[in-house]
Amino acid sequence: MFALPGLVFFVCVVVVPFFYGFYLTLTDWNGMNPVKTFVGFSNYVVTLHDAAFWSSMWLTIKYVFFSVLLINVLAFLLAYLLTNGMKGQNVFRGGFFTPNLIGGVVLGFIWEFIFSRVLVSFGKGTGIALFTSSWLSDPTKAFWALVIVTVWQLTGYMMLIYIAGFTSMSHDVLEAASIDGATGWKRMRDIIMPLMVPSIVICTFFSLSRAFMVYDINLTLTKGGPYDTTRLVAMYVYDMAFKSRKYGVGQAEALFLFLLVAVVSIIQVQLGRSREVEA
Amino acid sequence: MKKNIAFLLVAALAITSAFANGKSEETASSAKEPAASITFLNSKGEVQVALEDLAKAYEKQTGNHVEIIACGTGEVPYTKVTTMYNSGNAPTISMLDQTDVYSLYKDYAVDLSNEKWVAQTNGSALTIDGKVYGFPFCIEGRGIIYNGAAIDKTLKHHVDLGTINSYSSFKSLLEQLRAAGMKNPVFLAKEDWSLGAHQLGFIYDTYDGTTAGSAKIINQLENGLDPLTYDRFNEFIKTFDLLSQYNYYQADPLGADYDEGAMLLADGTVAFWPNGSWAWPNLAEGGATTDQDFGFIPFFLGDDTSDFANTGIEAAATKVLMLDKVQASAGQQQAAKDFLNWLVFDPTAQKLLVTDANIIPAAKNNPNKPLDPLGQNIVTRMAEGKTYPSCFIAPSDHWSVIGAAMQKYLAGKSSKDDLAKSLSAYWVAQKTK
Repeated sequence: MFALPGLVFFVCVVVVPFFYGFYLTLTDWNGMNPVKTFVGFSNYVVTLHDAAFWSSMWLTIKYVFFSVLLINVLAFLLAYLLTNGMKGQNVFRGGFFTPNLIGGVVLGFIWEFIFSRVLVSFGKGTGIALFTSSWLSDPTKAFWALVIVTVWQLTGYMMLIYIAGFTSMSHDVLEAASIDGATGWKRMRDIIMPLMVPSIVICTFFSLSRAFMVYDINLTLTKGGPYDTTRLVAMYVYDMAFKSRKYGVGQAEALFLFLLVAVVSIIQVQLGRSREVEA
Repeated sequence: MKKNIAFLLVAALAITSAFANGKSEETASSAKEPAASITFLNSKGEVQVALEDLAKAYEKQTGNHVEIIACGTGEVPYTKVTTMYNSGNAPTISMLDQTDVYSLYKDYAVDLSNEKWVAQTNGSALTIDGKVYGFPFCIEGRGIIYNGAAIDKTLKHHVDLGTINSYSSFKSLLEQLRAAGMKNPVFLAKEDWSLGAHQLGFIYDTYDGTTAGSAKIINQLENGLDPLTYDRFNEFIKTFDLLSQYNYYQADPLGADYDEGAMLLADGTVAFWPNGSWAWPNLAEGGATTDQDFGFIPFFLGDDTSDFANTGIEAAATKVLMLDKVQASAGQQQAAKDFLNWLVFDPTAQKLLVTDANIIPAAKNNPNKPLDPLGQNIVTRMAEGKTYPSCFIAPSDHWSVIGAAMQKYLAGKSSKDDLAKSLSAYWVAQKTK
């Protein structure tokens, strides 16, 4: 009974659009045409042959891999440092969390300015070759610019979750461990890490799904450029549906993205769960 | 915890349903309002305030309400219209690009052939199969913008830019400027719409200077014409190479910043910027004033000094107003038609369009002269017959796909042959659709 309102919502905003979306993949609709011609599975065939889509997908996978890895390593370390009772740790926590409060669009614009103007004049002033030309005009550097900004944005958020994990950790266990002689790296590897697995699972899941679906930063930071080399898959799908006006194909490609994210997330959560331990 | 969530959901449901009720009542009541109340989707961000002023003036005179809806910056007008149509909320008047109207007119546009204003537009109204479907909102032109004072100051004598009328004379002017100390006199924007649609677009527009001609060459490209065998393409690349050779940002062409470029031209660090009349607000922000010597020279193609591409710049009616025939009531359609006639014939509207919205009206009966030098230059050129009205029609993703290919070429990451291949591949793929 209590589940009913939730269920209605779920059906309205998730199930119905999902199946309607699936229906659209079977048509040649362009978004405005009053008639939606049924074309069977040909949009899926187009998707399978769309080399640009798959290279964009591969780029996204690389982007997700590096972002998720860096975000979690950094967030974990920051949380570890900021729960050891160091002076002013609340200020630091606040500071590291702030980027997450700025919307991705604004963040992208700010960093676009930093990469294309601030760093360039810094590079020209100091003669450091790495910065004399805009990072956003080189495909490889633009890719890393995306990763850096994503990491900058999400690390603070994940850090909070890790901090919660650290503070809820039982002091008795840690104390017992040090009495038994577990110090330094050993204590981290054998005691802290296993106890932190629930936090790691949550953080990885969050950062994975956020990174896979990223659009705002991609749009405002690189606009997919230079020459469409940093178009992540969400932007590719949008372009296909709205710029090229092929809703069916765009929707079919979105479905592939959905499947990939679902599979990766399920595997990740399952793997993580199996490593959880009881304190 | 579970209880709380359930409570929240119930609360959320109650709130949204309340909203939903409110909304349905609202739409019900608006349907009862006099049909004269219409909506106008504006996709030209810089004239939003001016249009609101126009709507106010109109309401004051006639009592009819026109609501101006803004299409956000960065929002694609076509996408916005799509959303509005699909949510049953279509604007009575939509300001769109020509190519958008081409894909919509069959199902959605009101036939405007019998409107009084059509006679005033010199044939610039959007006409398909002999019927008028679009009101030309303004004239926009593009070529290479110059800063006359910067040229004269660098060379220490006055240069009559009318004598620059071919690729070679432009090249020698650039050489002189470099020798006289302006090392890189050109700013070349990296934006894909500028490179793909506005610059490469010259190869279609200069086929014979008409939109029909541009359609012809596009049709040939769709049928597999190799761009390398098309003179205009080769001439275009030659000029484009010249521009990039003198590009202020040649060390890092894709690091060029649009706003910075406007400033560079305004303060005379560079003398040329291939762009269009819409760049004036940017120049003004960069410090340019209306009494300064700014204007257009053609985007030179080849060395034939009598070629219309070398004597004139492209100037055509853009931003087409389309009237909705599907969701608008008959009364609303009539009100929208009245509004368009008011825009053309009412003296207040005529003045506001030019002085407030800063556009060049397509209607010839408008006596007001544009304030900014770029607009004035286009008006003068049109009077002298030194413009050509072609406005090529391309699929909606042309500017971004070809823009990316042009960026790659500009960055030196692809050759002319590669560019020609991308261009050909794009058009051939359109054919098979």
